[in-house]
Amino acid sequence: MKRLRIKIVGQSGMGLLSVGEMFIDAFNELGLFVYSDREYPSLIKGGHSCFTINISDERIFSLSEFADVMIAIDSVSLSAYFDFLVEGGILVHGMEKPLSIKRILEKAVDKNVKVIHLNAREVSKESGGSVLMQNTVLVGMAWKVLGLDIAGIEMSLRKRFAEKANVIETNLKCLNAGYDRVDSANLGSNFVKKLSDKKIEKKFLIDGNKAIALGAINCGVRAYFSYPMSPSSTVLTYLADISEKTGMIIKQAEDEITAAQMALGAMYMGTRALVATSGGGYDLMTETISLAGIMESPIVVVIGQRPGPATGLPTWTMQGDLNLAVFSSHGEFPRVVLAVSDSIDAFYLIQHAFNFAEKFQVPVIVLSEKTICEGKINVGTYDENAVEIERGLVAADELVNVKREDRYALTESGVSKRWLCGESEVYHITNGDEHFVDGAVTEEADEVEKIYSKRMRKIETIKKSLPKPEIFGTQKEAEISFVGWGSSKNVMRDVIENCLEKGMKVNYLHYSFVWPIDEESLKDFFKNNKNVHLIEENYLGQFGNLAENCGIKFDGRLLKFNGRSFFVEDVMNYIDKNLQK
Amino acid sequence: MNENILKNLAWNAGNYMKFETERPQTWCTGCGNFGIQNALKRALVLEGFDQKNVLFCFDVGCSGNGADKIEGYSLHGLHGRVISLAAGAALANENIKVISFGGDGATFSEGPGHLIHAVRSNYPMIFVHHNNENFGLTTGQASSLTKKGAKMNASPDGVFLDPINTMDFVLGLKPSFVARGFSGDIDYLTELFRKALRHDGFAYLEVLQSCPTYNRDTPEHWYADRVKHIEDAKNYDSSDIWQARKLVEDLNDEIYTGVIFEDKSKMNFLRAIPNRKNTKTVLKDEVKRYGISEFL
Repeated sequence: MKRLRIKIVGQSGMGLLSVGEMFIDAFNELGLFVYSDREYPSLIKGGHSCFTINISDERIFSLSEFADVMIAIDSVSLSAYFDFLVEGGILVHGMEKPLSIKRILEKAVDKNVKVIHLNAREVSKESGGSVLMQNTVLVGMAWKVLGLDIAGIEMSLRKRFAEKANVIETNLKCLNAGYDRVDSANLGSNFVKKLSDKKIEKKFLIDGNKAIALGAINCGVRAYFSYPMSPSSTVLTYLADISEKTGMIIKQAEDEITAAQMALGAMYMGTRALVATSGGGYDLMTETISLAGIMESPIVVVIGQRPGPATGLPTWTMQGDLNLAVFSSHGEFPRVVLAVSDSIDAFYLIQHAFNFAEKFQVPVIVLSEKTICEGKINVGTYDENAVEIERGLVAADELVNVKREDRYALTESGVSKRWLCGESEVYHITNGDEHFVDGAVTEEADEVEKIYSKRMRKIETIKKSLPKPEIFGTQKEAEISFVGWGSSKNVMRDVIENCLEKGMKVNYLHYSFVWPIDEESLKDFFKNNKNVHLIEENYLGQFGNLAENCGIKFDGRLLKFNGRSFFVEDVMNYIDKNLQK
Repeated sequence: MNENILKNLAWNAGNYMKFETERPQTWCTGCGNFGIQNALKRALVLEGFDQKNVLFCFDVGCSGNGADKIEGYSLHGLHGRVISLAAGAALANENIKVISFGGDGATFSEGPGHLIHAVRSNYPMIFVHHNNENFGLTTGQASSLTKKGAKMNASPDGVFLDPINTMDFVLGLKPSFVARGFSGDIDYLTELFRKALRHDGFAYLEVLQSCPTYNRDTPEHWYADRVKHIEDAKNYDSSDIWQARKLVEDLNDEIYTGVIFEDKSKMNFLRAIPNRKNTKTVLKDEVKRYGISEFL
C-alpha cells in the first residue's frame, strides 16, 4: 500500500488549517483517499502546529509519523518538525531570509532532502497579493512539487474563497505564480495516473464530530445541550450552524451539570437529546448519570477524550477515560459504553447509543477521541436507514392497559414498561430516591432488595443484546494478534495491510461496545489466536485490565500516552519486537 | 377567598381529590409545605389542569419529599439541579405545564447558577422556592437566608453573615415574573399560583414558610404579623422594576407578598429562539428519521 505523506507546519493563527483543508479538499476531488489530522497547542496565536495529510489510491485509515513532503510556513515550526521529514524527502518553504533556518538547511543537505524555495512574500507582492497570500504561493509551489495539474487546487481555492469574491482573483494569481516558478518534482502523478482509469465515486471529507452530529440528526435527536470544551466543541458549532435547517434546539448551557440535566429532562419528556463534552466536563455530569441510573431514564453523553488529569493536554488525543465512563458516578447501576473509531462508524454508533439508552432505560456513554473528533477521512454515502429507531416505549394502543405498578415492575429482564409524561392518566413517579414499582419512595429492606436486583438484572439482558466485536485480519494462524477499541482500529487496519504485503498475518479484535464486555467473543479470540496483545492509548491499559478480569491474559501490551495517536510505525516496531521466534 | 372561587372548587372537588394522596405524610405538624401543596392543588383545579397536563419536578430536601405527596406525573431529581432538569422537560413538550420546587439550599447554595440562567433564558416553567430560612432535612443548619444572629445547628454562636435578599437577587436578573407568597395565607397563595400558571415564561414564586422544628426565630406568627398584600401598597406598579426593588428591601417589618414584578413583553425561550419561530410541533413529537444528505 503506497501512501504519500505530507506535513504542513506553521504557528497557530498563520492560516495553517486553511492551507491544509485546501489540500485535502483538492485530493478528495481527485478521488484520492485521504486521512488527515492536526496537532496544535492550546492557544490562539503562536506555538508550533502541524497539519498531517496521508493520501493513497487505496483506503487508508491512519497516519504515518513521517513525511515525504514538508511544507513550512515558519521557521519555529520547521525546527520542531524537521526530523519527521524522511531521508530524500522534499522541503517546500517560502521564507524571506533562508539564513534563519541555516542549520535546518545544513541538516537537509545531510539527509539528501530536496529544498524547494521561493521568497513567497516577494512573489505574493509581485502578483498583487498581501502578506497573508504568501501561504497561497506556498500552496502553488507544493502542488507543483506533487506533479499535479493546477486545475485541482484552483477549484479548491475557489471553493474556499467563495464568499470573498474580491480576493479570489489575486489569490489565484499568487497560486499560479508559486506553481509556475517551481520545477516539477512529480511526486503524486503516480497515483493520479492509476486513478484516471477508475470511476470516481463522490466522497465527502468528514471529521468524527460532524459524523456524530449527522448520525444524531438522522436518528431523530431534536435537542443538543452543551458547554464548549475541546475537542467536542465543534459538535456544538456545527449543529448551531445548521439549526435553521434542522429546527433542533441548540442550547449552550451555563455549565456541564446543566447540559446533562436538561438532556435528562428532555429525554424523560420524550424527545431525543444529545450531550457532548470531554472528560473534565463529564466529571461534572456524573451525578446526573447516577440519577439517570436510578430513574431508569435514558441519557446519551459523548466524551471526546483528551489527555488528563485536569486540563492535561487540551488539544491532544488519548483513550484515557474508559475507566471514567465505566465506573463514574456513585452507586451501582447498569450502563452501556460505546466507542467510535472514525467518521464512518460514529454515524451509526451514535444511533445505536440512543436505541440502547431508550430500550434498556439506561445511561449510554459514547467515547470518542480528539484524533477522531478532528481527523478527516473521505466518506462515501451513509446508509440513512441502517439503524432502525427503537424507542422502547409502550405502544399507543396499549397505553389504555398500563397500571401504575408497571413503570418499575419486577420483570425477569429488568426492563419495565416506559410511557411518557401525559400519555396516560396512569401517572408515574420518576424518583431519584429508592422507590418501589410505582416510583413512590421506599426504604423497606425487602422492597429495596427487589427493585435494586431488578435494575441490575438489566446488565445480563444488555449483554445478550450486544453486537459481536469485529475481527480484522486473516483470522487463521496469525503470527501476532491484537485487541483494542476506538481509534486503535484505524492503525491496525493499515498495519494488517502492511504486514500482509510482507507476508505476515496479523489479526485484530475490535470492540465498539466496550462495556459491558462481550466475554465470549474475547475468550473465543484467545482460543483461536496465539500471541495476543493489547493495543491501547493510556498508561494503565484500562480496557486490558477489564478484559483480563474475564480470565484471559495478554502476551503483551502496546501502550501510548503522550497525546499522539498510534502511528503505523509504532505498531510495526512493536510487532518486530514481539513476533514469536 | 371569594364565594365564586369556593363554588368553583366545590364543583371540582373530584378533580381536587385526584391530586390528594393516601400515602402517609412525612412533614412535621405545622410545616409550611402543607399550605403550599394545598394552594397549588386548588390553583391547578381552578385553572383546569389535571394529571395529563402537568409535571411536578422536585429538588432534594423537605420540599423534595413532596414528590410522592401529590398525585401526578413527577420527577424527583438531585440537590440543586431541579431547575435544569425541569427546563429540559419544559422545552421538550410545551403542552405539559412544568412546575418545579426547591428549598433554600437548592436555590441559593447549590444551584444559583441554574436559577440565573433559567431567569435569563425565560424557560416556560414555574419555579417555587420554599423559603424556610434553614436546611430542614439535614436537621436545621443555617441556610444563606437564615437571619443574622440565629443559633442554628452547626452555627452555635449564631449566624454571623448577612442573609441574601432573594427577591432583590432575582429582580436584578431581568425576570419576567416574580411573586412572593406566605404558606399560612393559602387563599392568597392560591391566587399567586394561578397567576404563575398563566404566565408564559419563567415564573419565580417564593413562598415564605414556617419551619416549626428548626426555625425558631421566624415562626408562623412572626410572618403572620408582618406579611402584607401588594394590593395594599399605595400606587404600586408591578411593571416598574425600581419600585419592585425598593419594595423588597425590607425583610423584617413590612414584607410584601403578591406579584412583585411582571414583564409581559419578554418572550419565553421557545418563542425567542430564532430557528423555531414558526414551529407548531413540540420536540417530543418530532423524533423520527431525518435525511442528512443536504449536510454532506
